Amino acid sequence: MRSYGLDGVDKGRPSARAGNAAYAAGLLLAAVLSGCGGPDQDAAPGPDVEPVKVAFVTNNASDFWQIARAGTEKAVKELGCKVLFRIPPTGTAQEQQQIVQDLITLGVSGIAISPKDPENQTAMLNKAAESVDLVTQDSDAPNSKRICYIGTDNYQAGAAAGELIMKTLPEGGKIILFVGTLDAQNAQDRKKGIEDTLAGTNITIVDTRTDETDRLKAKANAQDALVVHPDLACLVGLWSYNGPAILNGVKASGKLGQVKIVCFDEEDETLQGVKDGHISGTIVQQPFEFGYQSVKLLVALAQGDRSVVPDDERIIIPVKTISQENVDAFWAELKQQTGKS
Amino acid sequence: MRKVLGLTSLLVGLIAVACLWEHVHHGTIKFLTVQNARNLLTLIGLFGILSLGQSFVIISGGIDLSIGSVVALLAILAADLLDKGQGWSPVIVIPAILLLAMVIGAWHGVLVTKARMQPFVVTLCGLFFFRGIARVVSGDETRGFGSAFPKLAWLANGFLPNSDGILPVPFLIFVVLAAIVAAFLHLTPYGRHLFALGANEESARFSGIRTHRLKVLAYVLCSFITGIGALLLGFNINSIGPANFGGFYELYAIAGVVLGGCSLRGGSGNILGVIIGAALIRVLTNLVSILEIPSQLEYVVIGAAILVGVLIDELFTSRKHEV
Repeated sequence: MRSYGLDGVDKGRPSARAGNAAYAAGLLLAAVLSGCGGPDQDAAPGPDVEPVKVAFVTNNASDFWQIARAGTEKAVKELGCKVLFRIPPTGTAQEQQQIVQDLITLGVSGIAISPKDPENQTAMLNKAAESVDLVTQDSDAPNSKRICYIGTDNYQAGAAAGELIMKTLPEGGKIILFVGTLDAQNAQDRKKGIEDTLAGTNITIVDTRTDETDRLKAKANAQDALVVHPDLACLVGLWSYNGPAILNGVKASGKLGQVKIVCFDEEDETLQGVKDGHISGTIVQQPFEFGYQSVKLLVALAQGDRSVVPDDERIIIPVKTISQENVDAFWAELKQQTGKS
Repeated sequence: MRKVLGLTSLLVGLIAVACLWEHVHHGTIKFLTVQNARNLLTLIGLFGILSLGQSFVIISGGIDLSIGSVVALLAILAADLLDKGQGWSPVIVIPAILLLAMVIGAWHGVLVTKARMQPFVVTLCGLFFFRGIARVVSGDETRGFGSAFPKLAWLANGFLPNSDGILPVPFLIFVVLAAIVAAFLHLTPYGRHLFALGANEESARFSGIRTHRLKVLAYVLCSFITGIGALLLGFNINSIGPANFGGFYELYAIAGVVLGGCSLRGGSGNILGVIIGAALIRVLTNLVSILEIPSQLEYVVIGAAILVGVLIDELFTSRKHEV
């Protein structure tokens, strides 16, 4: 059994998957001791220098953020800083507020956060910006006093999906969008990007169904859509789990190969679907870069270097379109980044 | 039986009205297509199983709020141990998962009986605790079974008599389980004792029933059946997100049981009602989808339906009392 410091910091976190029971029990112990969600990353600091301490706050718990975490780990290795990686368990704005307050108490120099509800969190973000270097990542809060935004332009991502849909459906046809909830900014931006790109073409969006992030519901939505619209040409999933959910729904309905699927992000099932030719393509963001760039930026800011912030205060990480031709190379790179075999 | 008849007419009436509405507005009745029947019966089977488990605990006068999280934990563990065909054999993993489910149930039962804690509190803690464990064990990464176990996947996704058939295998599993549970509850002394315990614990104890043992048994059976449900749900969806898989399912299960005529005060209800109650909820969500009602209204429809169902039930019961 490995030992843990009383502050719950896990010394020497293995990169392997937390599969075995002893490790899980140890983690649990660490989590209980520190009263927080998981272990922090720990760099090997120099003998005397106090390392720069920055924080990365996600908006929920998902695979996407595990890739971002790998990105922060790369920055930790390169810069010798320390990163506190925080995941709000149920992804609410209230949890984020609590986490940010605690991080300020812990004395971090900067925080990179993906605000859950940017509009209503502005006051909280501004308050945090008074005590630390605050940047937003993944989802922006343009009206706040954040120093910079690092992430995807979701409107562009939607437009890329629109292009892919047009390429997939040269004859045109009916499509339906599937998403967790429509109140999220990224859902709205992606939808708008798709709508604007498809405007004036012979492709029509007949409906948008939401599933409140319940995967079973997401699958059932896809199946129901195939019942309601037997002539459906393409199903489009806007959030990461929608890809596998649609794929499974189409499979269960026996319509594999008869309807097209376009989705976002890089869950394993999605990439396998692209590889097998069941999914026409997926638009991926680069969460690894979110993690890496955020930490690099925060460390530079902590050292007083403001030149790293561009004039428009936005560092846009471009999206990639993954289809059957480039899926193998992309998947290999992803596995290498996250240390999965 | 009167309750069941009322509920059945509600279900049939609802379907009739919906079909009529669909016929008038869209000219077709897609609700009655084979494709929709296959989807709907699968979901009734998967969620119905969870309601069956829950009914033991509710009849005993308790409640189990933890099952959504338990579903997530068990499905994650199963996926982890099987590891897409690279891990242990299912011959070991599946009994182990079901055993673990029973241990969780026994733990709840012991806390309720020996430690005299309230079932709501015990299982509320379980709701948080097991969700947390699921997330720790998986490191918040989505798990799946890949395509390594076609036979097990068939149990969760398959159809009879063949792959184009209309009878989903999970629905058949639900029906068989329901028959066993009904026989246990309504035909054996254990079942009668469970009703007696739920109706009045003290008088049950004075009449010689080992109430503690029976209560623990109710939680063990609840978790065991939840374990079966977890494996089927896991294989059916094959993409198990530790943070939200199974979220809310305890409430769907409880809603099915309550709608089916079981009182949360314990001691009353029957399995036929639970089957129809669970089916009613799935029919409602399916209709929201098929009739192209905005998704946002789904919870409104379910909430209103449960309220109306229980209200009608209450009116029936109170009239009986007055006579």
